[in-house]
Amino acid sequence: MIDTKKYLFTFFVTVAIFTTAFFASTYFSSKRVESVKSIQDTIAIDILSSETQFDLLKEVPCQNVNHSMLSLELNIIGDKLSHTENERGENDEDVVYLKKYYSLLQVKDYLLSKKLAEKCGAIKKPVFIIYFYSNEGDCPDCKKEGYVLTRLKEKYPELRVYSFDYNLDLSIIDSLKAIYRVESALPALVVEDKMYTGYKSIEDMEALLPDTLKVAELASSTASTTPTKKTK
Amino acid sequence: MIEQVSQALMFPFLFLSMYFQVLLLFSFFENKKKIKNEESLTVTRYPTVTIAVPCWNEEKTLGGTIDSLLALEYPKDKLRIMVVDNNSSDSTVAIATEYSKQYPDIVEVYVEKKQGKHHAVNLALEKTLAELFGCLDADSFVAPKALLTIVAYFEHHPEAKAVTPCIHIRNPKTFIQRLQAIEYLMGVFLRKAFGQLDAIQVTPGPFSIFKKEVFDQIGGYRKAHNTEDYEITLRMHKNRLKVMNSHKALVYTVGPSTLRGYFYQRLRWARGFLENSLDYKELFFKKEYGNFGMFTLPMAFLFVFYGLYAAFFAFYTAVSHYVNVLDRWASVGIHPKIPTFDFFYFNTTITAFVVMVMFTMFLITLYLGNELSDDRQEIYHNFPFFFFLYPIIVPFFLGRAVFDTFTKRKNEWVLQDTKNSSS
Repeated sequence: MIDTKKYLFTFFVTVAIFTTAFFASTYFSSKRVESVKSIQDTIAIDILSSETQFDLLKEVPCQNVNHSMLSLELNIIGDKLSHTENERGENDEDVVYLKKYYSLLQVKDYLLSKKLAEKCGAIKKPVFIIYFYSNEGDCPDCKKEGYVLTRLKEKYPELRVYSFDYNLDLSIIDSLKAIYRVESALPALVVEDKMYTGYKSIEDMEALLPDTLKVAELASSTASTTPTKKTK
Repeated sequence: MIEQVSQALMFPFLFLSMYFQVLLLFSFFENKKKIKNEESLTVTRYPTVTIAVPCWNEEKTLGGTIDSLLALEYPKDKLRIMVVDNNSSDSTVAIATEYSKQYPDIVEVYVEKKQGKHHAVNLALEKTLAELFGCLDADSFVAPKALLTIVAYFEHHPEAKAVTPCIHIRNPKTFIQRLQAIEYLMGVFLRKAFGQLDAIQVTPGPFSIFKKEVFDQIGGYRKAHNTEDYEITLRMHKNRLKVMNSHKALVYTVGPSTLRGYFYQRLRWARGFLENSLDYKELFFKKEYGNFGMFTLPMAFLFVFYGLYAAFFAFYTAVSHYVNVLDRWASVGIHPKIPTFDFFYFNTTITAFVVMVMFTMFLITLYLGNELSDDRQEIYHNFPFFFFLYPIIVPFFLGRAVFDTFTKRKNEWVLQDTKNSSS
């Protein structure tokens, strides 16, 4: 005999579990977006603060302008944003908003870091790379280029990589594309104000980087591996 | 796009799987009191019982099997053990004859020349005059109270036409036997839960006991694509004969000790399931066959294909991931990093939550299976083998079974392979 009530009850319980899973997933996903946004807000405040300090430079000594951690935070937020994009999809409203916000922060950080390096004459002068990518399936090498740039950032802490989605509808990205004359050939890289297109391997990229960066990296790795002499 | 479509197709599968799990758990808990009461059923009348032991080169285990039957707590004048040799080339017949000399009133030896387990069991069916008839594969062993416990079901449930036991893997040693120990433990719960729905899928070879009248009514065993025990159950459902489960009737069976043996045994079972289900397609979605026809049989059939799809999906996801990893290594070399912990990267998709709930329910079924049986299994030792290997092995034998079924490929040799790897 078939107990219809039992089947219906089971159906409702299963639907309830699925609904709970749906709400839990939505809740955690929105929390994730909130967390990215909150970090971005903190970075925005930090940039504004650095800019203000910079404006006050005439009165404040260079060493009091603390901007070194910001790029690192931008890297972390970049990873999180990329994870969120993978999970929610590139057309998700929140993802697009966060990406636009992130792109703006990157441009501000780029401009500020550049100014600071020039005016304050940083000891380890940062090297900048502007990277245009696309994840709409029209850039088969972009994923590989991403791996190369991530590795370079790990290897050279003074290297600052700013990544921009070529297809993101944002006027500041259009301005950057116009300044550096970026066409649709991707990946496109601007290294020390020079434009390169097509996939660049880790060796190709290292050849393009200024020697000062490599010397600084060599010096820091030697310092960390040279054993200290024992004094008699 | 492909990823999104294949992911979307996974949702109905997940929903149906969870529905199935919830239904079984609900049916179990709904009848928990009844199940508990079954444990105290007693026997006042001892019907005559014949146990057939079909043999084909069983010299290694036959002695132990007969000893376990002789040790059954049951009046010996009511018990007959019919050893039926099926063209063994080893000392099986000599061992059986020795027992029949020692216990002439209990042990009888027959020889069936026609090859096939169904012929051997049918010969015993022809010879028996008992009220109850069962079969014990010669690689299986019964606990002393097993028969008494089963007979109690027949006494208190006159509508029961067959009673299945609780089967465990005997002394699991190799990794594949440990895997089977968990699989069988899952079976302990499933058989009980299906029993509550009158939808037991199979009366297993080791020590399922039938009223002899069942065979008089629906006929003896058939070849049935080398899974005669599944076919007889389908035939019983077709004739609306009730099958029950006795979770305290302990039986131990020797599981294949090698991956090859396990693979071919499961291939035979899976193929037999598909072929016999198709032979009995008239049972599908028919109200008169109750939960079995309306739900459990069609679902089990569907799950073979959905299971393959899920495996393909998991395989595709894993391959995509590792292709990316290899791509990264090829681009920048291998630079291992100490993994950092961040809640941000936790998988919080709907699928992840649903799978988590289903996995928890699966663990509950294992726990319940272990609680039901009087013999607690080493879950902690055996579970890792099941967890890591089962999902990898299943798609292979399921895929092969589906392929063989639809290409009508012959698989008689599978029997030999299973046999050679069993001990």
